[in-house]
This record gives sequence, C-alpha cells and structure tokens, in this order.
Amino acid sequence: MTIGSFILKNALRNKRRATLSVLSVAVSLFLLVTLLVALRELTIPPEDAGAALRVVVRSRISLANPLPARQRPIIERIPGVEAVSPFTWFGGNFKNEEGMTFAQFAMDPKLLRPIFGEAKMPEDQYEAFEKDQRSCILGKLTAEKYKLKVGDRITLASTIYPATLEFRIAGIYSGTIDDRNLLFHHKYFDEATGDLGQVGTWWVKVRSAEDMPRVTTAINAAFANSSSEVRAETERAFQLSFISMLGNVKLLVASISTVVVFTLILVTASTMSMAIRERFRELAVLKALGFRRRELFAFILAESFGLAVTGAVLGAGGAYFLYNYGNISKMTNGIFITFEVTPKIVGIAILVATGLGIVASIAPSISVARTSVVDGLKTLD
Amino acid sequence: MGYLIQILAMTLAGLTALVLLFTLYMALTSPIPFLYNIRSVFVRWRATLATIAGIALVVGVYVSVQAMAVGLEKSSQNTGDPRNVMIVRKGSTAESSSQVTREQFKFINYLPQIARDDKGQPLISADVVVLLSLPRKENGGEANVLLRGVSPIGMNLRPQVALVEGRWFTPGRREVVVSRRLAARFANFAVGDKFKTGGKELTVSGVMDGANTAFDSEIWMDADESRALFDRENYSSVLLRVDDPAAGKVLIDRIESDKRLPLRALPEVDYYNSQTKTAGPIKFIGYFLAMAMSVGAIFAAMNTMYASVGARTREIGTLRVLGYRRLPILASFLIEGAFLSFAGGVLGCLLSFVMHGYSIGTMSLQSYSETVFQFRITPGLVAQGLIFSVIVGIWGSLLPAIRAARLPVIVALKSL
Amino acid sequence: MAEANIVTVRKLSKIYRQGDINVTALNQISLDIKTGEILTLMGPSGSGKTTLLHIIAGIDRPTSGECRVQDIDVTRLNESQLADWRNQNVGFVFQTFNLIPVLTAYENVELPLLLTRLGRKQRRHQVNTALELVGLGDRSHHLPRQLSGGQEQRVAIARALVTSPSLVVADEPTGNLDSHSAQEVLSILQSLSQSAGKTVIMVTHDPKAAAFGSRSIHLEKGELTN
Repeated sequence: MTIGSFILKNALRNKRRATLSVLSVAVSLFLLVTLLVALRELTIPPEDAGAALRVVVRSRISLANPLPARQRPIIERIPGVEAVSPFTWFGGNFKNEEGMTFAQFAMDPKLLRPIFGEAKMPEDQYEAFEKDQRSCILGKLTAEKYKLKVGDRITLASTIYPATLEFRIAGIYSGTIDDRNLLFHHKYFDEATGDLGQVGTWWVKVRSAEDMPRVTTAINAAFANSSSEVRAETERAFQLSFISMLGNVKLLVASISTVVVFTLILVTASTMSMAIRERFRELAVLKALGFRRRELFAFILAESFGLAVTGAVLGAGGAYFLYNYGNISKMTNGIFITFEVTPKIVGIAILVATGLGIVASIAPSISVARTSVVDGLKTLD
Repeated sequence: MGYLIQILAMTLAGLTALVLLFTLYMALTSPIPFLYNIRSVFVRWRATLATIAGIALVVGVYVSVQAMAVGLEKSSQNTGDPRNVMIVRKGSTAESSSQVTREQFKFINYLPQIARDDKGQPLISADVVVLLSLPRKENGGEANVLLRGVSPIGMNLRPQVALVEGRWFTPGRREVVVSRRLAARFANFAVGDKFKTGGKELTVSGVMDGANTAFDSEIWMDADESRALFDRENYSSVLLRVDDPAAGKVLIDRIESDKRLPLRALPEVDYYNSQTKTAGPIKFIGYFLAMAMSVGAIFAAMNTMYASVGARTREIGTLRVLGYRRLPILASFLIEGAFLSFAGGVLGCLLSFVMHGYSIGTMSLQSYSETVFQFRITPGLVAQGLIFSVIVGIWGSLLPAIRAARLPVIVALKSL
Repeated sequence: MAEANIVTVRKLSKIYRQGDINVTALNQISLDIKTGEILTLMGPSGSGKTTLLHIIAGIDRPTSGECRVQDIDVTRLNESQLADWRNQNVGFVFQTFNLIPVLTAYENVELPLLLTRLGRKQRRHQVNTALELVGLGDRSHHLPRQLSGGQEQRVAIARALVTSPSLVVADEPTGNLDSHSAQEVLSILQSLSQSAGKTVIMVTHDPKAAAFGSRSIHLEKGELTN
C-alpha cells in the first residue's frame, strides 16, 4: 500500500459524505460558470464576422427616433462607403406571442449580399427574395422554432406602425451569429405605412478597416447641425451601447455571482471540513505511529483537494460540455445565443476550486495540530 | 419533455407538501421535546452555523431578486388614477410606440363622457412621448430616457407628480423638469444644467418626484414645444378624466367599437398594470438561482444532518430503549432540519432587508427607456423565503432522518 | 404463581451470522426469575450475558425459544408493541449512562414519561420523586456534563424508575464508576428490590457487585454453568 492509495481509500470510506461533498462543489461550480458565462454574454455581445466593416447610423436623439430617407444619397457619396441599406425595425408581433420572439427588419434586398455577406442561402432563394417585393427571408433558428419553410406565408402586426403585413417566405438563411431575424423589402414597408419617408437606421458597408474611422466621422459631420443629427458608429460600438441601457443589471449579476461564490465556499468548506474531521481517529493513529505534522497536513490537503477538484471537474466540465456543445439558443428561447465557456472562465473555476481545497483544509489542519494523540483517539466524530 | 417536467415538478411539490404536513403534525404531537432538537442543533455549532449561513445566503439572494420584480410591478401599479382613461394606438404595447393623429384627438375631444373642470374645460390631454439617448452620470455609457411632452391639463390629470426643486417648465421654452430618481442617474440633470439631444439644447428648470410611480422614470416638458422640437406631427397618447366608472365604460366601448378608429382605450390603471413585462425575466432569474442554489443548500443540510445523526446514534438507541417508536425519531430529525434551515431563512430575510428601498434602473422591455424602481420586500416575499427555507431543510434532512429511524436498537446502542 | 416468577425463559437460543460462520451467543437457555429478586448475570466477555439481558428487556430477538415476562411472550411482539411494552414495563440502566447531553437531569428523567398520557403536574411529581429517591433532588437542572459519573448513573436510575416498571435491567451499571460511586449505585438498586419490590437483573463483571444480588447466575459460551 502506498500513501496515495491510503488517501484514496480514506476519502472513499464514507462514500455518502464524499459524494455529497463532491456534488455540492459540482453544483456550485456549475452555477458559477453559468453566471460568469451569462455575465460575459451580457457585457460582450457576440460578434458577426462581417461586423468589422459595418457602420450603423442612427438618430442622435435615440434609436427610437426615425431618420429621413433623403439621407441615403448623402451617405453613399462619402468616400470609402461601399453600400448603404435602410434597416428599420418593424416590431411585429407573431401569433400574438408574448415575450421574445424574433426581430423583423425592412431593408434593401439587393444589398443583402454586399452588406450582410455571412447570411447564406441557396442561389435561387436570393433571386426569389429580390424579385418578390412581398417576400421575406427568415433565419434558420426561427424557421425551425415555428416549423416554417420556404413558400409558407406569415402575417405580422407591428406594435410601432399602424400596419399589418403578410409575407411569403422566399428563403431561409444561416451563417450569422444569431440566425433568427426576418428581413424584408423596405419598399413593402413604405407602401404599407404610407410612404413616411423615414427609416430606422442606416447600415453601411465600408471598403476597408482603415477607412472605418474616417467614414464614421464623415457621416456624423455630414448631418451635424441639420434637423436630423445622426450618430454613426461601428457595429461593435452599436452593440455595446445596449449594455449601458441594461443599467444596474450587470452589476447585479456580478454581485449575485459574488454571493454565490461566497456561499459555495462557505458551505463546501464546512462540508469538506466535516468529511476530514471524520478522519480524526486515523490521523491520531498516524500521529502515534510517528507521522509528523507536515505529513498530516499534506494528507488533509490532498484529500481536501481531491474532493474539490473532482467536484470542479464534474460541475465546470458539465457546464463546458452543456454550453459549448448543446444548443443554448434553443434552450433559452433565444435569450442567449452563443453562451461560450471561455478558457478564462474555466481558469476562474479551477482557481475557485483550488481556493476551496485550501480553505476547507484549514480548520481540520488547525485541529490536528492542536489535538494530542490521546485526545484524537478519543474523538467520536 | 415539458409535460414530463411538469409532472415531475407536481409530484415533487405534492411529496414536499406531504412531508411538510407530516412534520407539522408530528411537531405538534411528538413526545420528543422540541427543545431537545434545538439544543442539539447548536451542539455542533460550527457546521450548523455554516449551514445556516449558506441557507441564509440562498434565501437572501432569492428574496432580493424577487424584491426587484415586486418593486418594478409596484411602481407600475402605483401609477394612474382610477378616474382616468388612457388611449393609445391599437396594437402598440406602450405609449412610446403609439401614435394618435390630430384628427383622432379632435374626435375624442368631443366625446360627451369627458369630465370638465370648473371653467368648463374638458379634462383631456394629448401627450407626446420621445425617447432620448442621454449620457449616464458614471462610466460614460448612454441610455434611453422617456421624455413626455405634457399639457397643463395633462399635469392636473397626474396629481401624483409634485415639484420638489426649481420651477415647472415655461410653455414655449426649451425647458424640462426631470424626476428626482433620474437626476441621480444621468449627467447634467441638476436644476440649471443644460444638455443636448439631436443638436437641440434643453435646460433643466426643475426636479419632480413621482411618489414611486412610473413617472419617476420620466422627464417632462411642454407638449407643444416638444412636438415642434422633435418634429412630431402626431401625439403618442391621450389621457382623459371621466365623471364616473359608468361613463368611462361607455367611452371605452364607444372608441373600441368604432372600426374607423384604430385606437385602444382602457383605464389608466389597467394600462400601467400591463407595463410589468420587464419583471418577467427578473423573476425567472430569481427562480433559476433559487433552484440551482437550493440544490447546493440541500446537500449542505444533508451533510450536517447526517453528521448529526451519526454523532447521536447512541442517543437514538437510548430513546428507542426507553420506548420511543421509529416515527417520532424520524420526525424529530425532520423537525431539526426544518428548524435549522428556518433559522437560515429568517437570517436570509433579514439580510435582504438591507436592499429594501434601494433604487435601481434598467431598460424597460416595453418602453425601451430607463425605468427606475426600488427593491420592495413584502410580507408575501418574506413568507415565500421562509417556506422555501423550510422546504430545503426538509429535503435535506429526509434521508438522514430515515437513516436515524431505521437504525436497529442494538447497533445504535453499541455505537461508540 | 404469577407472583412467584416474573420472567420465564424457555429454550432460548440466539445465533449470529458473522460472515460465513454461525456464532452461538445463547444455547437453549431456560431460566426463571422471581419477583423482587436481584439477579446478577456473570461470565466472561462473549458469554452471552448481555444478549440474554437484551432479549429479556425486549431490545433484541432470539433465534428460537420463548421469553415470557409477566405472562407476555416478548418474542412475539412487533416493533411498535415492543416499544410501548418497554416503556411501561422495563427500566434500563447502561454502563455508559446514555443520558442525552443537551437535556438537564430533570428532562432526561422526564423523557420516558412524555410517551404516557400523564399531565405536566403529575409528570413533575413523578420525576421529582424519582430524583429524590436517588438523592439528586437538588441537581435536577444540571446538564449531564455538570454531574459526576456516579451522579450521572443515579440520574439514569431515576430515568429507569420514573415509569414505575416492574423490571429494572442494568448492564454493567458500575463498570464506569469508582468504587465509592459504585457502592452508592448498588445500594440504590438493592433498596429498590427490598422496599419497592422491583425485580432487578444486572449484568456485571464485578464480584463485589454480584454480592449485592440475591442470586447469581454464571454464563459461559452461551450456557448456564451452575
């Protein structure tokens, strides 16, 4: 028998308690990883491949304020701009469903490929979409969710505009970071709303990354001091601007995570301390046999670490596989899209588990150091 | 799949209720003195304290998160006057996405059910709602703020709002009055400050207080001035007063039944009651956290109770020898576990009271503007937290209690 | 006749299985115990004396045979009936006292009474009487750890007496006590039999303890030897 196998045998002696300890570490670390991933996704929204070359132009008053359609040729003339498409949120309600469904945008179908190149469809679907002004294309996730296919018709009532539109699905795209949106002809939208001459935002494709800063500055300057001032920014900056709108929610998730970690350390450390305290008699026997304190501490630490690491592998590993290989978008009904467990988050989980192993061994170590052989042999529990 | 989960959840709830009833019944009739359990709980105080603290934190987190949802709902439900009727465009879910044309407003104006003031003026007001993206006080980000263009009658129709600093805006001037809650969160919102939006400069002339209503999340300016400033031809909503509920019903029916009017009329109170969608995700987070954390808490309670049973094996044997049956012993440990986590629950509720009244803001999922509300801890929430803690305790102690009850007398007596 | 013999044991056997081997703890024992006597069971470790005591007291079951206490065959009672029977008819005294550490002397003694229908007042009366009897009337609010070993054992005796059982069984009651305390405990047990007419069965190693008994029985390898 080696010391290692002795430790292992000892740790598994009370299988129930060892299991409970490992499970409580596992559950807590699973929760911790989940919160960290959620926090990451809230603060760093996932990015599309084409986002680096896209600029979003919105009203300086707020996103909810429309822009005049006449701005388009002015933006198109700015050097470095490859294409400009209107992009207007329709705010449609599908089947009167409460809660999150999917977003619909009116845009220019001819610019689908130049601007939103990552949305991939079969060639004939591109053509069908361009040809039929009353058609739309739909993200693969939404199509799957509502069991919709090419050729189906859907009707959407806007909560923003006094309009209800019927569409024929011309294509189903995939390949973007969030394959859920519905895109349709801005002309159809204009017709239905009585040619307001308004758009929600402009989405601009810029020729190269070097042109980006110059183009955004130029767009902002083009409408400065006009009746419709705009804010042009990279798609990334636009996405990030939503985080600020979340207000205290971010801080809240962060503080909840902190409380969870604290609870976890508290409860688990006490559980593991109990598990180790059970070994008091053995430890006293070892002491009587001539083991030194240092060796006993190593013994306690090894067991404490073993429990923590096993729990961490189960909990964080389970989260890793569930979130990175499971279909999180489907599971959360589209609230979270990628939900990626990054190496950094895995690192934090390992760090917490390590800390847990150390913290949990402190109390028993102190007791062992204090207790004489005779008292230890008398210990009941 | 969802069906299965439902059945599972219901079975679990049923079982919990049964065990709870049994424990309660035994607690009242059991011959084992309750004091015995309480004192025993504190013999192993270190492990017990850790468990209690763990459960306290779980309950504290649950109650605090739910207190947010309650606060948000309360601020909506506080808003509105039962005599007022709100009119928005059919199909729009919030004022900020609603439009009422001038022709429609004119038509509504002549409805006979509208109450009049002493001068014979009809008590009706058409408001304009505009979202402004404005910088926050800290760390530079921006968020949408709801600006309401309101007429003098519109202000009279909302008596909950009171000026607390400075003066009301002057009609025809680019002046706004901001709510106290928003003033604490956004830059340049002090009296006398100026801020720019879309190239136009506005001056803060005063600060108002909405008495914990939805108006705490608004800034107000003159209706006509705001329509000119933001180039709005139409209004967003119409608010009017009726003499009595019967007249209100007639008016609502009149508007709803008119096919040419794409408008929806409803009591103002009902409108604000429907503006609580944002509470949904918060509640969901609360339930999710409670579920996940309670699993950990149950493990902790289980461990403590197993240790407790293990340490008292001989006591259990002695009780059996004295003539105690198995059931009271089972109940005794269940009661002990329930008490342990109830103590945690009480502590957790006390902890969550620290958050009570604390103001937070987030984007409303209906108006898409910053909505400010307070943590509200209600007796109902406290009860929920306590029940929750007892359930954790009972599930955590069920297995150890069964083990205690099933110990053979001789084995229990021989145990060291 | 019933007055003469409180316990009748007939052909009582107890066989344990330990792994693959059968261990015979009691082998076809027959024994009568008279009302009011103090019977001491002696013998080396593993002779089966404690097992015999446990069967008579209704906390262990024989493999075969009969054990009647006051005309009730305790081997035929089920788990719950046994519990009630023990509560009403048997008082226990252990070598290790087995007091509940978180309860006071008074509460420990009161414990068996909580299973009866007695009211609070009557319980108090009985508990105090029992504590007076063992000479601890003034210690009723002490916790076990605040008492000496001898005092703890006297509390345990009070607990055994408080339900007025006709049978008191004691398993090495003096095993953990110094000789002075042991003397006290034994005199109390003796007076129980002499003045209250209780039957006492006591397992002991100690010949001095055995001397307090009215009759002594020796067991060896599960059989009576005298």
